[in-house]
Amino acid sequence: MKTIQGQKLVASPNVKKEDFKQTLQQAMKEKGLDTKLRNTVFHWVRTQSKQNKLDPLTSLSKASAQWEKRIHKSLNSMCSDLETSLAKIRPQSEQDELADKWNELSTYNLDLTKYRPVYAPKDFLEVLLTLSGYVPFTREDEPKWEFAHLPLQVKTLDQIRKLYLEWSSGEPLLGANPHMASAVPGFVTLEAERVSLGERVAALGYAPVVQEYLKKGSPQCLRAKLWAQVLGSEIKGQQITYFNQLKKSVLEVDLMIDKLIFKDVQLTASNDDQYFVFEDVLYQVMLCFSRDCDVMQQLKGSIGSPLTVTIKGKQTSTDSLTVFPPSGVIPFHGFTMYATPFCYLYDDPVQLYYTFRAFYIRYWHRLHYISTHPQGIVSLCLLYERLLEANEPLLWIHFRNININPIRVVFKWLMRAFSGHLPPDQLLLLWDAILGYDCLEILPLLALAILSFRKENIFQVNTLQNVDAVLADLSTISVIPLLQLALMRA
Amino acid sequence: MAQEIKRISPSIHRKPSPSNMEKGKVTYCTDLEKSVIISNFERRGWVQVGPEDEWNFYWSFTQNCRNIFSIESGYRMNDNQMINHFPNHYELSRKDLLVKNIKRYRKELEREGNPLAEKTDLVLPSGQVVSRYLHLDFIPVTYVLPADYNMFVEEYRKSPQSTWIMKPCGKSQGAGIFLINKLSKLKKWSREAKTPFHPQLSNKESYVISRYIDNPLLIGGKKFDLRLYVLVTSFRPLKAYLFRHGFCRFCTVKYDTSVTELDNMYVHLTNVSVQKHGGDYNSLHGGKMSIQNFRFYLEGTRGRAVTEKLFADMQWLIVHSLKAVAPVMANDRHCFECYGYDIIIDNTLKPWLVEVNASPSLQSTTHNDRILKYKLIDNIFSVVVPPDGIPDARWNKIPTTEALGDFDLLIDEDLMEKEDMNTRFCKFQRVKQ
Repeated sequence: MKTIQGQKLVASPNVKKEDFKQTLQQAMKEKGLDTKLRNTVFHWVRTQSKQNKLDPLTSLSKASAQWEKRIHKSLNSMCSDLETSLAKIRPQSEQDELADKWNELSTYNLDLTKYRPVYAPKDFLEVLLTLSGYVPFTREDEPKWEFAHLPLQVKTLDQIRKLYLEWSSGEPLLGANPHMASAVPGFVTLEAERVSLGERVAALGYAPVVQEYLKKGSPQCLRAKLWAQVLGSEIKGQQITYFNQLKKSVLEVDLMIDKLIFKDVQLTASNDDQYFVFEDVLYQVMLCFSRDCDVMQQLKGSIGSPLTVTIKGKQTSTDSLTVFPPSGVIPFHGFTMYATPFCYLYDDPVQLYYTFRAFYIRYWHRLHYISTHPQGIVSLCLLYERLLEANEPLLWIHFRNININPIRVVFKWLMRAFSGHLPPDQLLLLWDAILGYDCLEILPLLALAILSFRKENIFQVNTLQNVDAVLADLSTISVIPLLQLALMRA
Repeated sequence: MAQEIKRISPSIHRKPSPSNMEKGKVTYCTDLEKSVIISNFERRGWVQVGPEDEWNFYWSFTQNCRNIFSIESGYRMNDNQMINHFPNHYELSRKDLLVKNIKRYRKELEREGNPLAEKTDLVLPSGQVVSRYLHLDFIPVTYVLPADYNMFVEEYRKSPQSTWIMKPCGKSQGAGIFLINKLSKLKKWSREAKTPFHPQLSNKESYVISRYIDNPLLIGGKKFDLRLYVLVTSFRPLKAYLFRHGFCRFCTVKYDTSVTELDNMYVHLTNVSVQKHGGDYNSLHGGKMSIQNFRFYLEGTRGRAVTEKLFADMQWLIVHSLKAVAPVMANDRHCFECYGYDIIIDNTLKPWLVEVNASPSLQSTTHNDRILKYKLIDNIFSVVVPPDGIPDARWNKIPTTEALGDFDLLIDEDLMEKEDMNTRFCKFQRVKQ
């Protein structure tokens, strides 16, 4: 599409043959194609630099393959227990009903009592805890469960401080104190200053600039636009058409995963006072996501090798087979929560879908697949462990003494990027930082900061249940000041 | 209010002596035996007594409050007694009186030539032009039946496609409410009603009929209304505070304007009591979304300006509804009252006042609800009781910022006048020099 625009421009009288380069650049700038092209290049370069090679650490890839096998086995046995098929053509009457109720799928009645989520965060954690068993540990007195045994490099707190430079140097952050006086003349508060700057950044629309802006937090009124710009997920006709195709595939082929998706939305979003209102949009988004083979394509190499199954009812041919599901991603209990916070930014399901999808492709998949990637869940767990031991030694020892693996009390936060655990306004400030710094390391840092904040209460208890109780309610946590405090030198 | 009413014998003549004050213990009495209230009393170390004993603080049912203030009872409160209702709160909480008071207020402002009462012309979908107040158009067009029957018919004929909602004046919790979209249905109802509906007869069981807001703002395709808590410690001068925590009550079924849905009360009414019995009611969230999350959602999807305007409009609506009843309220200094304001927002982001409750439910439907109501009571006590912790009808009723807790000042005419006088005094001083 952009080359067509480019060609049209080249053919226009504004571009002269004599000083081609200069007048082309000038014409592009005038037409705004300049920014568009720069954005396109920016997003393309990002995708090229991603690690698509095979995992260098064979032990982890072995573990990953075994876990994947377990999941597939579990799916197949659920399928045969329930005497259904993993994939089958949907009868016309059912297609019609589904199409009819597409905007209110919460009223579509399914008997889901016999369906169970394929796995939950705690199952995944158990797998991760066995990883060090794949690597011989050197010291006898160290517990087997520590991630420290894995030969992965993670940052120290000092290195993290260098990464989050604006925070550790004490710069004013929107999420810390929006009402503080602005240092810029003409603005009463920091908030007013940020809104004005954010509007200019949004108008310019150049993704790297937006990303830089997000480092210090975005006002809620600008977030929807800024996030779409940074992720390159702004929608036009093409995206709407594609989304409708996804809808069509949902209607036409009944995948067993649909029941699991319905069940997950019901168990998580529909029961949550922050998100229950949006359940109907979430059904649409999660169902369409499962049919999106773009996801599998873009994440090739990072999400293992998905199942391929036969579609019952289709004549044997090339298209009677389907990847199960087409996205290549099998959802777990709570998977919907990766998408729920976007409901506070987008009313339109299509825009919501694309922004969520971009986030998933960029970040969320790393939280539930095993890899050696520095942003992967394994590295994040190791980072958490190291930060805790180095910076809260008394807490570390306390956990040792009461025989609790410290990762157990924070893992569900990490795997869900705190979705469902923090109120939406705090959560989105955290996700601003993820986007701004293009990094998930803030998650274990926040986990550490919360433990540190509540350590006095943790010292008082000695069972896992009681530690969980101390950490159950995060509704009073002010995320940004807490993080900034942890990052600024004591 | 299906609560058990504890009746006080109206023949009490004695005046309670403040002897318990000498003992240093504040006493309370409560008609409502709910932990959310009692725990707040106990936190303050107050001692429970019966209604016939010497209480300093009485959390009463409206009926009992009215009895205390009735002439027959001969009961006289002393300076160290406070009670949680105004004697004639029904001027605000009865649907017909609220409408009457607001209409009177607007007419008076209009007569005075006050710019607040400015009017504008509105073109209805039918093509008819009607006149509406520009700044004070916060209640849907409403008529009291049977008294205003003829006026209602005249208005109805201007837009015959519209839907109207009938509500009994004295009931609550969604009881007795129904919708009509044909005049014939109303006539049918009046024929079938137990007591004959005669425009000339004054019927005790009167109704209000309001223009139904058929374009409500929807979130996730669901209709909702807002519940806000407003504390009033005085009507003249007006002192009112808005509680920061309120909630949106959602219908469990998707909103549908097709005629077949007209009789489906789960879709149209948002009272929790009605929703609770719907098939999809969820007790984890109770169909309630916090007002903070609502505001956050609105700002994220619609932008800041319209969000701020909506919230400013809601504050405006509350203040003027209170100003409307202020002249007729018995402004007894022993009284304070916490009202539950029910507001519906339409899809142009305009708020409409549906009704005001003088006894907002303190029942908790969810865990979050329990916390909210506990905080509400706690903050009410800290606002109405003077800083020394002893209920006193004589104090200046200017709470400190700390005492306000999660209440925000809506209006304090006393403070405004003091500031005014102060400015005038300063000017005067300057002139003198």
